[in-house]
Amino acid sequence: MLTCLGDADDTVAALLTGASGVAPLRFVDTEKLFVGFGYPIDDGDRERSFRASSWLTETVADAVRESGLDVSGKRVAVVVGSGLRELRSLERWHADGAGATLRELHFDAAVRAVLPEATEVLTVSNACSAGGYALALALDLLALDEADAVVVAGCDSMTESMLTMIGRVGDELVTELRPFDRDRGGVLLGEGAAALVLEREPADGRPVLARILGVGLSCDAHHETAPDVAGIVAAMRDAHTRAGVAPEDIDLVLAHGTGTALNDPTEARALTEVFAEAGGGLVTAIKGATGHTSGGAALMSLLVAVEAMRRGRLPAVIGLADPIDEAADLAVLAGESVPIQARIAQVNAFGFGGVNAVTIVEV
Amino acid sequence: MTVAVTGYATHVPGLSARDLPGSPAEPAVAADQAHVVLGRKGLLAKEPATRLALCAVHAALGLPPGRPTGPVAGAGTTAVVVSSNLGNVQTVCAVVDEMRASSGHAVSPLLAPNASSNIIASSIAIRYGITGPNFMLCAGATSGLDAVRLGARLLRAGRTDRAVVVGVEPDDEIARGLLGLRATPPGGFSEPRAAAACVLLTRYDPAAEGPAVLLDRVTRSARPPEGAAGLRLDPHPGLGGVSLTERVGETYGALGVLQVAAATGWLLDPASTHTAAEVTCGDPEDGYATARLSLTAASQDWLAPTAEVIFR
Repeated sequence: MLTCLGDADDTVAALLTGASGVAPLRFVDTEKLFVGFGYPIDDGDRERSFRASSWLTETVADAVRESGLDVSGKRVAVVVGSGLRELRSLERWHADGAGATLRELHFDAAVRAVLPEATEVLTVSNACSAGGYALALALDLLALDEADAVVVAGCDSMTESMLTMIGRVGDELVTELRPFDRDRGGVLLGEGAAALVLEREPADGRPVLARILGVGLSCDAHHETAPDVAGIVAAMRDAHTRAGVAPEDIDLVLAHGTGTALNDPTEARALTEVFAEAGGGLVTAIKGATGHTSGGAALMSLLVAVEAMRRGRLPAVIGLADPIDEAADLAVLAGESVPIQARIAQVNAFGFGGVNAVTIVEV
Repeated sequence: MTVAVTGYATHVPGLSARDLPGSPAEPAVAADQAHVVLGRKGLLAKEPATRLALCAVHAALGLPPGRPTGPVAGAGTTAVVVSSNLGNVQTVCAVVDEMRASSGHAVSPLLAPNASSNIIASSIAIRYGITGPNFMLCAGATSGLDAVRLGARLLRAGRTDRAVVVGVEPDDEIARGLLGLRATPPGGFSEPRAAAACVLLTRYDPAAEGPAVLLDRVTRSARPPEGAAGLRLDPHPGLGGVSLTERVGETYGALGVLQVAAATGWLLDPASTHTAAEVTCGDPEDGYATARLSLTAASQDWLAPTAEVIFR
């Protein structure tokens, strides 16, 4: 994993201490954009093209190496979730005369640079739930025996066009992303990549980090940008059914928590509806520290959930001081990290177009 | 489980059913005339690729012209899978140009959803009320058949009862510029052409009446497979089979779906003697994907040439 806070260990450590990666944006005209801040990866004093691709290449190589997977003779498929693909490189090609190729708009080449034997490389461009959608597809590939292992990844870098739209629809200059807070000002973009290796059950005794019990999918079919409680509830229920769990089995929830006017109350209502009778476990969210990392977001939340359960310590929602009324019946964790004993987590990811993916993971 | 193609449509502005199976009887309308098929409401700020995709879905679902008044039948157990690489590239570049030229406030907020590449897939879901899994694939030259394969996988995995699979690409200045960046493809460059196609996939029901086209598993390869006998749709011109790129133009991420739709139409044509088809899309860099389609044996009875066909 790679975020504005560093690699996976750095990121989890920063989350547990309450650090945030928010920083002024560079390389773009913040006055024209009306967006001044984000959670960028600081990788030099000049902007390069194909940054998302380079992070993807790095995290895929890391994940395969750390898993100990021997790819020879195995059918290894790769599914990449990305909201904005290499549209930033397209923008720089169009507006700045930077180099580009058609093929590098998607991630086939970036993956094959380190995994040339991949049987297929699919770029799933499902907005801010792309990583969750990619994970669902990866599980299906294993369940249908169409692959022996699947590398599932998510990545995104900021685009000027998306920053323009965030500045255009916002009312005020946002200086930090504050999930579920009454004074939240809106979303800020983050950057980075995450990758993990999925197998049915390694026969060779390699360690298992976690088990993905199921991923539920739905589409609101409601609005291009506004979320909808019914669609989100449907994805949660689909996830529970597929994972064979009930709401009372869920020990903690990694919320989508984007800090926008609409997402947070909608998500809180949906969580309240689904967990009303079960009481519900602790709820946290990472975007106050990492920004909204779009295609990488679902997998980053998943990895943080796994690490929190393995280490027995849950990071709080950074940026949250005064929770919204809609979250009154939820145990959203503000303040400092707390010790936990948790085994099963739910990870939410929702995207533009009402595309929802909810993952259930067990350690 | 066997997957059947139970609906198909092609929408290539200017082409009619005489030119391409699955097209409208009269030449398909251009994106700016999509309201003729879709009705006027809800098309504001929709990009050409989204409009053409909606036209193809509308026809494949067999709907009358105009905006549907509610979710289509089975919408709750239907999935959408769209393949397009270039659908929003023009908008992305135009937004940057406009913002830099004056400021972000000059850009229409109606364009906001188009900054996200999945606008085509979500627009289909919203218009037809389709609440199942909603996938946007942007996977290069094989993306069309990757989408067909993903639709079949969603059926096999029990995630849906019907998959609406769409391939679409626009023809605009940015798309042309990007397509021109490639190494010369086998068979040479063809003119880019805006095109959309839709196929409906369901689990095959042997008890259902009428002819049926079955979809075998889609396979991947580094090179196009050696020429199969029978109806063959090739990825490039000059390989000996049918090239839709030659007939229609360069359609990139739309090609695979366009091929499956056209092949289905040809197999179901009572005047055709073909009972199987092999379609391949891709390029040397992204590799190739191949789908095999076949008519069920019982279809022969349904498709025996009738007097009506003989005198047509």
